[in-house]
Formats: sequence, C-alpha cells, structure tokens
Amino acid sequence: MVLVTTVRDYINRMLQDISGMKVLILDSETVSNVSIVYSQSELLQKEVFLVEMIDSISASSESMSHLKAVYFVRPTSENVQKLRYQLANPRFGEYHLFFSNLLKDTQIHILADSDEQEVVQQVQEFYADFVAGDPYHFTLNMASNHLYMLPAVVDPSGLQRYSDRVVDGIAAVFLALKRRPVIRYQRTSDTAKRIAQETAKLMYQQESGLFDFRRTESSPLLLVIDRRDDPVTPLLNQWTYQAMVHELIGLQDNKVDLRAIGSLPKDQQVEVVLSSEQDAFFKSNMYENFGDIGMNIKRMVDDFQQVAKSNQNIQTVEDMARFVDNYPEYKKMQGNVSKHVTLVTEMSKLVEARKLMLVSQTEQDLACNGGQGAAYEAVTDLLNNESVSDIDRLRLVMLYALRYEKENPVQLMQLFNKLASRSPKYKQGLVQFLLKQAGVEKRTGDLFGNRDLLNIARNMARGLKVWVENVYTQHQPLLFQTMESITRGRLRDVDYPFVGDHFQQGRPQEVVIFMVGGTTYEESRCVALQNSTNSGIRFILGGTAVLNSKRFLMDLEEAQRISRSGSHMV
Amino acid sequence: MTESKSGVGPVIEMASTSLLHPKRSYAPVSTEDPGNSSKGAVTVGLPPDWVDVSEEISVNIQRARTKMAELGKAHAKALMPSFGDGKEDQHQIESLTQEITFLLRKSEKQLQRLSAGGPSEDSSVRKNVQRSLATDLQHLSMELRKKQSTYLKRLRLQKEDGGDLEMNLKGSSYRAEDDDFDDILFSEHQMSKIKKSEAISVEREKEIQQVVESVNELAQIMKDLSALVIDQGTIVDRIDYNIQNVASTVEDGLKQLQKAERTQRSGGMVKCASVLVILCFIMLVLLILKEIFL
Repeated sequence: MVLVTTVRDYINRMLQDISGMKVLILDSETVSNVSIVYSQSELLQKEVFLVEMIDSISASSESMSHLKAVYFVRPTSENVQKLRYQLANPRFGEYHLFFSNLLKDTQIHILADSDEQEVVQQVQEFYADFVAGDPYHFTLNMASNHLYMLPAVVDPSGLQRYSDRVVDGIAAVFLALKRRPVIRYQRTSDTAKRIAQETAKLMYQQESGLFDFRRTESSPLLLVIDRRDDPVTPLLNQWTYQAMVHELIGLQDNKVDLRAIGSLPKDQQVEVVLSSEQDAFFKSNMYENFGDIGMNIKRMVDDFQQVAKSNQNIQTVEDMARFVDNYPEYKKMQGNVSKHVTLVTEMSKLVEARKLMLVSQTEQDLACNGGQGAAYEAVTDLLNNESVSDIDRLRLVMLYALRYEKENPVQLMQLFNKLASRSPKYKQGLVQFLLKQAGVEKRTGDLFGNRDLLNIARNMARGLKVWVENVYTQHQPLLFQTMESITRGRLRDVDYPFVGDHFQQGRPQEVVIFMVGGTTYEESRCVALQNSTNSGIRFILGGTAVLNSKRFLMDLEEAQRISRSGSHMV
Repeated sequence: MTESKSGVGPVIEMASTSLLHPKRSYAPVSTEDPGNSSKGAVTVGLPPDWVDVSEEISVNIQRARTKMAELGKAHAKALMPSFGDGKEDQHQIESLTQEITFLLRKSEKQLQRLSAGGPSEDSSVRKNVQRSLATDLQHLSMELRKKQSTYLKRLRLQKEDGGDLEMNLKGSSYRAEDDDFDDILFSEHQMSKIKKSEAISVEREKEIQQVVESVNELAQIMKDLSALVIDQGTIVDRIDYNIQNVASTVEDGLKQLQKAERTQRSGGMVKCASVLVILCFIMLVLLILKEIFL
C-alpha cells in the first residue's frame, strides 16, 4: 500500500499547482512507473491532455505554447541531453521538470545553461524510481538482468551500470519511505555485497544529509540477497492466479498480452489489465489456487447472468429507467467477467496441452520431498513422455540436479544425456552452468531443508500436513524461512553480515528485502500473506525484474553465452 | 532575420535589421525586463480555435450543475405538504428540467465538433479534452436521472397515500347507511371512485409520458457519450497503452495518406472523364457535319 500511495502522491503533487492544459512527458522507464499507479482518466481530470515520450517529442516542430509541459524522467545523461535540446527550442509555454532520482550538480548547471528562453518554472526531485505493482512488491524492470551472474571482470562497466541502477532504485524506495536503514547482505554473493556496500556509501557518506531522517526506536532493515540462493522457486510451475498468469502467459506492468493466444472471443481486447487496486475480483483471488479460482469465476458468471436476464426482462417504465441508470455498471461487469473467463480458459488449455498437472506433481516432489530413487524414476518417465515440452523437460532435470547434485552422479549424467538427446534446442551444459552458479556449495540458505536436524524434522512435519493441503502448492520459497528468521530475530550474522558499523538493536519493524536477479510472484504472495499475519513487522519485497521460468532460463542462457565467449579471450 | 513563431496566432515581430539599409544590423535588444525575476513566461501564443469550443462546453456544464442544485431544492419544496395545488412548483420543476436537458444536449452536440481530423499531436489533445468533457457530461446526465426517479417515486408514494386516505374516509362514512339505500349510494360511491381513479390515472399517464420522454432523451445522450467515455480499469485507461496507440495511429495515418496520394495521382477517373469528353466532342462534330451535308 505504502509504495503505491507514495508514487500516486508524488504525481498528484507534480500536477496540482499547475493550472491550465498540460502535456506530460515521460521516458521509457518512468512511463511504467506512472502507468501502473495512475490511470488515463485521472490524468484527464487533472487537465493533462497529452502524454508523450521524451524521445518523440523533438520529432515534431509544431509549437503548442498553450500547453504547459510537465517532464517526469530519470536523471540520466541521455535525458539531460535531450532536455538541453528541447529547452533551447521550446515548443510549450512553460516547463516544469521533475526527476525521479537525485540530480547531480553538473546536470543542473547544464540544464540552467541551456534554458536561454527561461521557460523552466521549477526543477524538483520526486523519488518514484521504481515500479510499484502491488502493495508490498516493487521491481526495477531491468533489461540486462543476467549481469549479476557474471564475475566483475567480464564486463566491469556493464556491472557498474547495473549496480548503479539498483542502488538508485533502493535509494528512491527509502527516500519515498523517508527512512534510512541498517543494511545486511548475503555473504556468499559478490554482487549483493557490492550493492549493499555502495548503498551504504550513498546513504551514510555521500548524501548523508539527505537521508538523515527522524530516527525511530528501531531502524528499518535492508536485506540484499541473491536470486541464486533459491534457484528453485523461479523454475517451478505456479498454481495461484497472479503467479500462474505470469508463468503461463506473462504479466508485464500488470498487463497481460493475449496476442500469443490463438483465437480470442470477438469483443475481447488484445491486452487486459490485472491490477489488485482496480479489480475487486482479482484482489480477492490473486493468491488463490486454480481450483478455487474456477469456482469463484463460475459464481461470478452466474451472478452476471442473473443481472443480464433481469436487464432483458424490461416491462415497466421503471425497469427501463433502471436499466439506463445501471448501464455503465453493467458494461463494466461484463468486461470484467469476460476478461477473467478468457484468462482462465486459456490457462486451462495450456495446462491440458503441456500435461502440467503431471509435470508439476513431480516438480513439487523434487522441491519438497525426499527419495532420490523415486525421483530419478519419475523424471526419466517424464523425459520419455512425448507430450512433455522441451522447457518442462529442462526444468525437471534442473530441479533434479539442484536437489540430488551429490547423490548418484551416474544417474545424473544419464539424465543430462537423455535431455540432450530429446531436446534438440537445448543449449549444452546449461544445467551444469546452473549448478556452478547456484549449486549446493554456493548457497547460503538451507534450500531443501536437509542441512540440519531441526530442518529435517520440520520437513517431516510438513510432509504430514501435505495430505490435507494442495499437493501443487506445497512448496514454500526460501524467502519464507528468511522472513521467519528475521521475525524471530535469528538471522545469522555469519550468513548475513552487516555493512559498516551500524548495527541493529532488537527486531526491525520494517524490512525491505531486495533480491538481486529478480523476484517471483510466488515470493510476493508469500510476503503479502506474511504481512497479513500481523506479526508486527512489515515486509516489502523488491527485485531487478519479476521472473518466470522462461525469463530465468533466458538470463541463465545469456550469462552462459557471455562467460563462454569470455573464456576464449584470455 | 526576423523572429516569429510558426503556426500559432499573432506574435510581435522584431526586426533586427534596419528597414532602409538591410545590410546593417541592429544590436539585439534584450527582451529581459530587468525589474522582473528571471522566471518570466515565453511568448505565449494564442491557443487554437477549438479551445474556445471546449471552454464554452465547460461553461455550459457549470451552468447545468448550478441549475441541478436549484432543481434539487425545487423537488424538495414540491414534496413538502402545502396549501394550494402546487402548480407553481410543478411549473418551476418542469422548466428547470427542460433547461438542464437542453444544456446537456447542446453540450453534447458541441462535443461532436471537437472531433478532429487526421492524426497529430493536436488531435490527441482534442480527443483527450473531448473524453474528459464527455465523462463530466455523463456524470451529470446520470445525476439528473437519479434525481428525477427519486422525485417521481416519492411523488407517487405521496399521491397514493393521499388517494387511499380519501378513499378510506369516504368508504367508512358510507358504511353507516342503511342497506336499503345501498344500491343507490353504492353506485354513487362507485361513480366518485371511478371519477377519482380516472383523474389519478390521467395524471399518472402524464407523468409516465414525461418520464418516457426524458428517458429517451437521456438514453440518446448516454449512447453518444459512452463511445467517448473511458471505461475505468480497462486497458484503454492505461497511460502506456494510449501512448503506444498514438504512435501506431500516427503511423497508420501516414500510410493511409500516402496511399490516398498515390491513388489520386494515378487518377483513373480523370482519364475516363477526358476520354468521354473527347468522344462527346467527336459526336458533336459528326452531327454538325451530317447537318451540313444532308
């Protein structure tokens, strides 16, 4: 709630004091930040009658001096250059410049110099430099996400840019929350360590004045962790609504692009919006599992058909009048019902075609339960099954390899060979690359709960509980354990050291967990459910991207490709 | 080297070369007013014409809003029990309702004028202004409908209560009479009942007629508006979707313009027409020749 409200608040403040017709100019990143929290109709209410991208605004030379320009862009050098040109040849009556992060002094000087015609009325910083999709989940939508997997020597400037963007994003979150955190990071990850240290430098040294907020009894905690500590979660198939849509179809900035799907019903839009803020049905069903969603949708359709029938049965004048009154509501309901029905139908089709129920059962067993022999049998069977698609085969082998890395190497090898022979497009050695990145030696957390007795016992207890709950949603991401440790004040210093000498007394009340490499919707669900238990701690989750299995594998392949080509040049 | 803004309204041109000796140039005069702070406005050109239309519509909408408030008060007054037959109140309500409906209809027609031609930045602005005004109009129409329907409901309740009350009074007073007189008195009772119910039904009909008319009018307005108003929560309400759409419509528009240009140039029609004209001419010549030689 907090992040979404803050971004909306920033946008309101930008627009409220400027009267008259306005044009809002965004760049390719801020357009996502704004679109996800603010709607077009709200912009119209604030008299913003045109929205443009900063790239295309120079293309036209049509002067529209009756409009006032409101810029909201990231303070990058490219944007500053474009602004220079646009300020020197102003098209609009007034210019109000807002930046989503800290401006450097040099940049301010450049802008002042190019403002020959004195059109700039104000320059401010509003720290909405992240995409706040859900109440407790944000992302940075970074493109070259794979860089975190590579050692610094491979592409030092690329990694520096990556790290800078992450630090900017995290800084913006804390400036928006008006807090300065204590910082901890995952010891085994170089990238996490680097980011944590650079964030600390920014907050405690370079801009310590800006971050010097009112101190409360307990500082919030920033925990920087690495995706590779839990490579299992992004590989699993999902069965809760939001996560499933992202896994099977793809959710970008809370929008679903249905173009990939074959034939749509005729009045269905090609793109639909799934936002918990605007869609009450989605809000109450986004974390429910597939079976329950089906029932709820059926109920919604029944309700809608009732309304439709009563609308057709118009006999008296009062009925007519009531119909005209309720028409906008009716139309909205119809659109919503159609959207959810289409989504669930498509997902059912995909589940059927890819035999996902079968595949997912084995996946969950691999992730949660024991038994190497049985697991090997199951995986081999599915590899032999013709209807299983290549990507599912790859995922199964990967999950097996992550789980039984050290047990029975002969069988592991056999699986690799079988995979290579069955999937012609399989990039050789991808599974081994994954093990190198995220194998048992690299991981800090106890991913499979088999490292110490306490965890083994806990697993057995959970195994018994499984009989009652859904087989397909047994898996708990590692994040859950991490959050539990933080709640109990038992996050080990050895595994997650502090940066600098700012230590934490007692339990934090606010925790921001940043996952370098990306988060998943299963994890954001975990965080939302944890927050609803009122444990006294509020968790916020963020990442460099929101992953599904396709995206995670893509990052892995890209990193493998680069490290291979790198190893040739020595 | 005169300075001028392109395309928008009258702007003062500054000559920086002498009119008599074009080769000699003046030193550029500083346009900064040394007294002012450095945040002055640039030459603000006049807005395009359609902005006047949109302002007119906003003014009408504001007028309609104030009249709606008055209508609300008039409704409340008419519903209060009063001496006299309340015809004055009725008249006022009718005229207010008519004025508001007229304003809404006028605004809606003017709104259509805002629709722009080909794709350009200006047309996006026009479209967005149109949408915003359409939303306001739609809200007003719905508010008017609600006010009317609540008023009618209350009115009907009142009339029924009043009518029944009268009925009961008359009924109970007649029951005291003898049975012998029952036939005659009963028919009198019946007659008055019939007359009463006739009057009521005539009035009802008139009200229903009014409701039907206003429902029709408003339904028409709503139908036209619903094409313009954005459905909240759907994809068309997303800013990024609208930016993409503008880009693609501008591209499409460009392609269409190019296609139109090409078809016009090839001018099949022109060739056809010229051939026909030549044929006509030849026929005319032949006819004249025929006349001369025959």
